[in-house]
Amino acid sequence: MNESPRTDRRAPANAALRVAAPVLALLALLALATLVPPDLAGAALRIESTDRTRANGMDAAFDRLSDRALVLVAFDADLGTYAETRPVVRAAIADLRARGARLAIVSFTAEGRALAVAELSRLQRLGAEDDEIADLGFAGAAEAGLVGAIPNIVPRGAEGSIVEAIRSRGSDLDAFALVLVVSGGDLSVRSWVEQVLPRVPDLPIAAIAPTFLEPELAPYLRTGQLRALLATVPEGLAYVDGIAEADHGRAAAVGALPMLVGLLVALGVMAQSLLAPLVRRSRPDRWRRVG
Amino acid sequence: MRRSLTAGLALATGAILLLDLLIINPSLELLAGGVVELLILLAAAAAVGGAATLAAHHLPGLASGGHDRWDAVMLLGGMGLILMAGLRPGSNGSSDPAVNWLISALLVPIASSLFALVFLFLLGAVRRGLSIGTREATITVVAASVMVILLLPLGGAAGAALATTASWVRDVPLAAVFRGLLIGIAILVSVSAARILLGVGSTDD
Repeated sequence: MNESPRTDRRAPANAALRVAAPVLALLALLALATLVPPDLAGAALRIESTDRTRANGMDAAFDRLSDRALVLVAFDADLGTYAETRPVVRAAIADLRARGARLAIVSFTAEGRALAVAELSRLQRLGAEDDEIADLGFAGAAEAGLVGAIPNIVPRGAEGSIVEAIRSRGSDLDAFALVLVVSGGDLSVRSWVEQVLPRVPDLPIAAIAPTFLEPELAPYLRTGQLRALLATVPEGLAYVDGIAEADHGRAAAVGALPMLVGLLVALGVMAQSLLAPLVRRSRPDRWRRVG
Repeated sequence: MRRSLTAGLALATGAILLLDLLIINPSLELLAGGVVELLILLAAAAAVGGAATLAAHHLPGLASGGHDRWDAVMLLGGMGLILMAGLRPGSNGSSDPAVNWLISALLVPIASSLFALVFLFLLGAVRRGLSIGTREATITVVAASVMVILLLPLGGAAGAALATTASWVRDVPLAAVFRGLLIGIAILVSVSAARILLGVGSTDD
């Protein structure tokens, strides 16, 4: 009994669909979970953020700033980990703006610059004015660029009231009341502690970093080289919860449901993959032949 | 001879930067600043060289019209677009609004989408790794499963207990292993740097 040519043509498409179906279903499930408002899950689902120690540390670092203080945001996040730190970064920028700080954004890595441009564009859409945020652009060459920027952080041709305020204070890193380092894998806040602090010892540094950098950065917090550090999702969430009102709810909310769905799917796949060989081994031969 | 020149350069550069950190002297500061400027120029030259090599690698594919042609078109087209936006007359360079638009509207969303797929690729890698049946893959996946359970975003007493255990795992065993690795890497780098500077070891490098 021969199959028709039409059936033959459909076979590869059906096979591809069978392979893609679980992935598409997972993506649809995650998209649906993302659309559910975070409040709907209630108290049963939440990312635990009971320890506010580090969030309080960030609050204290910001509390020390005077009105219209100059704050440098060193934006060197990377694309691989920025999804984790993005809500905290947005909340911190909103918090600083609400406190009346004047922000200057600079990047020393290419990925950091790309993400900084996207965030600057978002802030402009939200109505940020030129006297609130200045773009100091991209100073390449990573650590060498960082060291090179210590005596002069302002690029040639830069304009604006914030740029003029930095120039009037000498154009160097001493002009800033605080540096907020948005850290990534390529250039972490460790470079700031190693390269900048020996040259500018009185510069207060606060940092937001992805979880994988926490074991490396925690000692700097204990020694006081960092004024504040937020380096895990619960720490970041504790901080975001605390300042949610400052941004009028515009800071990205961290929903527990998409995370729960993703983790349960991952757990299911890992359990199935771990148990499958055991199940196959325990089957009698006749079952193995059939299955 | 070549190695002694490299070692000499590294030693001199390192000494200048170190002395600049230790001693406040305007002449030394000027010299160290010059060295840093040279390093920045070298990094820029390396980046330009890398981009040129990439373009040179893909240009033949574009000309030959093989099955890689569309990859080459996309890559070279993207490079050309960014270069044109940044280098056209009257442009502000890397801060030009056209460059910023290309980055925020195209580059970042596309790259973020690719990174979002890492979740799926990881799950695929778990399945393939376990199907091979190595002990290392099994241990890795079991450890990952335990961490996933600890990170489940649950509320109440159960959630608090999971979060406390996750914090302990991160702060004690994980931190110990990580810092041990860092100390080991630092010692190895110091030893290997000293070997290069002192000219100790085999001559085949």
